[in-house]
Amino acid sequence: MRQTPLQNPAASSEDSFIRTAGRQLLLYTLMAVVAIGGLMFLLDALAGLVGSESGNTAAVEVERNMITISLRDEPPQLDSGQRADQISGMVLGHIMEGLLIRDAESNLVGGVAQRWEVNERDATFWLRKNARWSDGEPVTAHDFVFAWRKAADPAQASEYAFVMYYLKNGEAVAAGELPLEALGVRAIDDHTLYVELERPTAFFDKLVAFQTYYPIREDFFHSTNGRYSAGAKELLYNGRFKLTNWVHGSSLLMEKNEHYWNKDDVKLDAIKVGYITRDGHSRFNFFKDNKIAYARLEAEQLYSAMENHFQIRRYQDGSLFFLEFNHREDRPTSSWHLRRAMQLVTDSGELVNKVTKLPGYLPGRSLFPVYLRGVNSTFREEFPAPEPELDPQQALLHIQQAKAELGVEEIPPLTLLIGDTPIAKSQAEYFQEVYQQKLGLDIKIDAQIFKQRLDKMGKADFDIVMAGWGPDYDDALTFGDLFASWNLNNHGRWAHEEYDAMVAIAQNSIVPEERMAAFARMQQLIYDEVVILPHYERGNSYVTHPQLKGMVRRAVGSDPDLRYAYIEAE
Amino acid sequence: MAEPTYTPEFATDAFEPLHIHERKHGTTRPSLSYWQDAWLRLRDNKRALISLYLVVGLLLFTLFGPLFWNVSPSVQDLDQVSKPPWASREAVIVAPYTLWHGETTTPSGSGLRTATPPNTQAVRLLWDPVPGATGGYRIYRNVFPINAQQAYGLPLGEQFDPNATYFEDRLDLKARDYYYTLVPLDDNGIELADATTLEVTVRNAITVQGALERGLVDADSNVEVGGRVTLKFHPLGTDYLGRDMLARLMHGARVSLFIGMVAPLLYVLLGVIYGAAAGFLGGRADALLMRFADFVVALPFLLFMILFKIMFGIGPGESGIMPMLIAMVILSWPATSRLVRGQILQIREEGYINASRLLGANTTYLIMRHMIPNTMGVILVTITFAVPTAIFTEAFLSFIGMGVAPPTPSWGSMCNEGIKTMLTTPHELIFPAMFISLTVLAFNLLGDGLRDALDARIRNIE
Repeated sequence: MRQTPLQNPAASSEDSFIRTAGRQLLLYTLMAVVAIGGLMFLLDALAGLVGSESGNTAAVEVERNMITISLRDEPPQLDSGQRADQISGMVLGHIMEGLLIRDAESNLVGGVAQRWEVNERDATFWLRKNARWSDGEPVTAHDFVFAWRKAADPAQASEYAFVMYYLKNGEAVAAGELPLEALGVRAIDDHTLYVELERPTAFFDKLVAFQTYYPIREDFFHSTNGRYSAGAKELLYNGRFKLTNWVHGSSLLMEKNEHYWNKDDVKLDAIKVGYITRDGHSRFNFFKDNKIAYARLEAEQLYSAMENHFQIRRYQDGSLFFLEFNHREDRPTSSWHLRRAMQLVTDSGELVNKVTKLPGYLPGRSLFPVYLRGVNSTFREEFPAPEPELDPQQALLHIQQAKAELGVEEIPPLTLLIGDTPIAKSQAEYFQEVYQQKLGLDIKIDAQIFKQRLDKMGKADFDIVMAGWGPDYDDALTFGDLFASWNLNNHGRWAHEEYDAMVAIAQNSIVPEERMAAFARMQQLIYDEVVILPHYERGNSYVTHPQLKGMVRRAVGSDPDLRYAYIEAE
Repeated sequence: MAEPTYTPEFATDAFEPLHIHERKHGTTRPSLSYWQDAWLRLRDNKRALISLYLVVGLLLFTLFGPLFWNVSPSVQDLDQVSKPPWASREAVIVAPYTLWHGETTTPSGSGLRTATPPNTQAVRLLWDPVPGATGGYRIYRNVFPINAQQAYGLPLGEQFDPNATYFEDRLDLKARDYYYTLVPLDDNGIELADATTLEVTVRNAITVQGALERGLVDADSNVEVGGRVTLKFHPLGTDYLGRDMLARLMHGARVSLFIGMVAPLLYVLLGVIYGAAAGFLGGRADALLMRFADFVVALPFLLFMILFKIMFGIGPGESGIMPMLIAMVILSWPATSRLVRGQILQIREEGYINASRLLGANTTYLIMRHMIPNTMGVILVTITFAVPTAIFTEAFLSFIGMGVAPPTPSWGSMCNEGIKTMLTTPHELIFPAMFISLTVLAFNLLGDGLRDALDARIRNIE
């Protein structure tokens, strides 16, 4: 249709009316858009005022001398006396400092202690006069005494109370039989800490680098009214960094601690935990988008990392992963035959090569990882792990015996407690099928978030749990005493007299040959009694920002260690 | 001028009464019921018809597919992990795996070389000692040729002993080309510059035992190492644990279609009853009922889903399908009830209702004869549109891990697993995603066609 010029006066007045109305409408729309836009900017500015960190930061901020990283989970426990997990350990390692620390080459050097002396039955630590808390007060020997007593306090029920057993009366104090004051540690003066040992401890100097031995200041602890470590303001720091902002579940900001005794050696001004995600895929995307400075790689990201020509690095993170059985009597897994049957069909090599598919994973053969020291070379070279057997036929016979032993027609469904990471899920599905196919076992997968899984492990709410253990100190005992009947981390409550005796030898003796022989016996007992089924020793692959240097990966201690990291100018 | 005379003439027969005559012949169209007419018009709608076939096909695929493709969806074939459907299935039979510590029967060659023919069981590398490699060697593997950036790919491992000049790789080997790079290390473990790269073509292999277990060769026939077999056929490939994709899709469809069909039927039924009651009662009761419906609309679905899961005590390893179904029924009916109430309110005021009432029709008759049939179109269309929504909800919930428990597959959870390997093995994502998209599209188009076909007003215009 062709447009014809309007002549009708009535029509033209109507037309002008429409035009006026249209113009008005347009004006209103424009005003609305401008108003909403303005409001957006206003709100954004307000949000910037409220939150301390506005917007996103790049992985490496050269001008602010800051890096951004991601964590797998929110740190569940930043009270050094209570923490039991690696994520809290990583954060604590940066914000707290013990008597002794590990330097960039993993040598044991003085932290708060300037010099120390460890004898057969006692140890003395002379503290630095210039070691200070983040509020400027000096770190004193009393802070250590308080923290150590707190860790041993039965009222606190710390999972790591057992590391205090090395101190005189430690075990009795933790059991509540002796008062806290009886614990073998006291402050001679503000800067001298004197420790009495329960028994000769060959590795006590390595032990005090561990996080349960970090100091806590008594007056500050009480001033928080039981909320110690609940937030950034409820903690006092003596490490290289201090936590200045902690938005639970979303971000943490660690800034250089101005009161740190060696602050000139701290090269970074800030470490920001910008993202908390368990999802390896998004972590890798953050890395590709230059949002985080390093990223661990999962099997799915390896191809993409190769395609992008990233330099892929790898390290053995020291931890051992295994299936741990619940040995309590009311559980079907208390039957040795059932556990032995599962052992006979568990192929850790297949798991590592076909299911996890990650480079650097070693098939698990023993409770003791390959890097642990023996008498002269490594422990595993001196005492090889039992050869794994695979025999599905034999396994079926054991299943029959297990049924008779338990007095059941069918083995009841077994609950397999796992974490909710994708890698844990695919492994669980693999084992579910293997045990179903080869043994006819019905496995129910119970995937839980990290905190919940720890909680369920503590409450023994599982038949089998996919657990992992990282070394606390550089000695085979850190793995060996895990299954001592008194250890609270022995979640399956396996108790064996001979094993306990072996642990006692390893703890008390300072003769390496004797200790290693005890460890070798433990290794054999763990295999014979099928206490656990080792899966693998984890090796991690990761990519780092090319400008981030000096990041240390370690098997023992907080990892990754960014205390000595720095940004290299382009 | 003579005046014209006008004499009206009447035929006498004009005053006879008309005969009642029958229509002798003529064309009539057969009387069509509402449903017949709707079907006729649906049949003319090509898009809707194809969608209908698709839906029927999907139902057949789900119900009868497993009869023809009798493969368990949870059986793992670890010799064929993440295999796309087009990958070659030719494999060589090899001897069972034994540990290897660098022994070799072949005469020593030079440089970086393979000790045995490389296959998917193991790639065994040998090399000559490199002078200066006092700290041992590190071995990398790449699927891309090494370029100027010197990114060697995956660090597979180290040999810290400079005299141990061998390495065995068994990690997730596929039948393809690999680039192995050997980098010597100095005393401090720092990589030295003179790296050597070897291109290796890996072939499919299966052990004698594996071939027997999977029934690829007969037990009594002579199984020879070096012989060839064809690996098990997986028409749509396998997933990350070597499970058959087709079988998983069929079994996954059960969950998806069950939720997709049952949930809408239930909640539309609930919505119809509720809406009809509200519309028919009218007045204060109507206001009260509809405010309650508004309240239900405001409830957050995901939160309720989680609450139901806890309330039902869904333990580990149990499927979350029932709570999902109940949550969907309890929370999704208000939309239907509003629609039906509107229709009923409208119909209630129509003339024919009043007429019917004057003729003495009781309430039941009114509802059954007039009201429900007149809202039928709306109801059917609502159901067909609700089906894809429900399927999508199920897929979404399974995707975020709130749905089925492993090893039961569902399309949503398969997508979740497939998305991780989207770049390397896209078939693990594409197939389930395609099924979800096709189903949702088919139901949407069918609903579209039904709306046109069932709309009585369009019928009058034609």
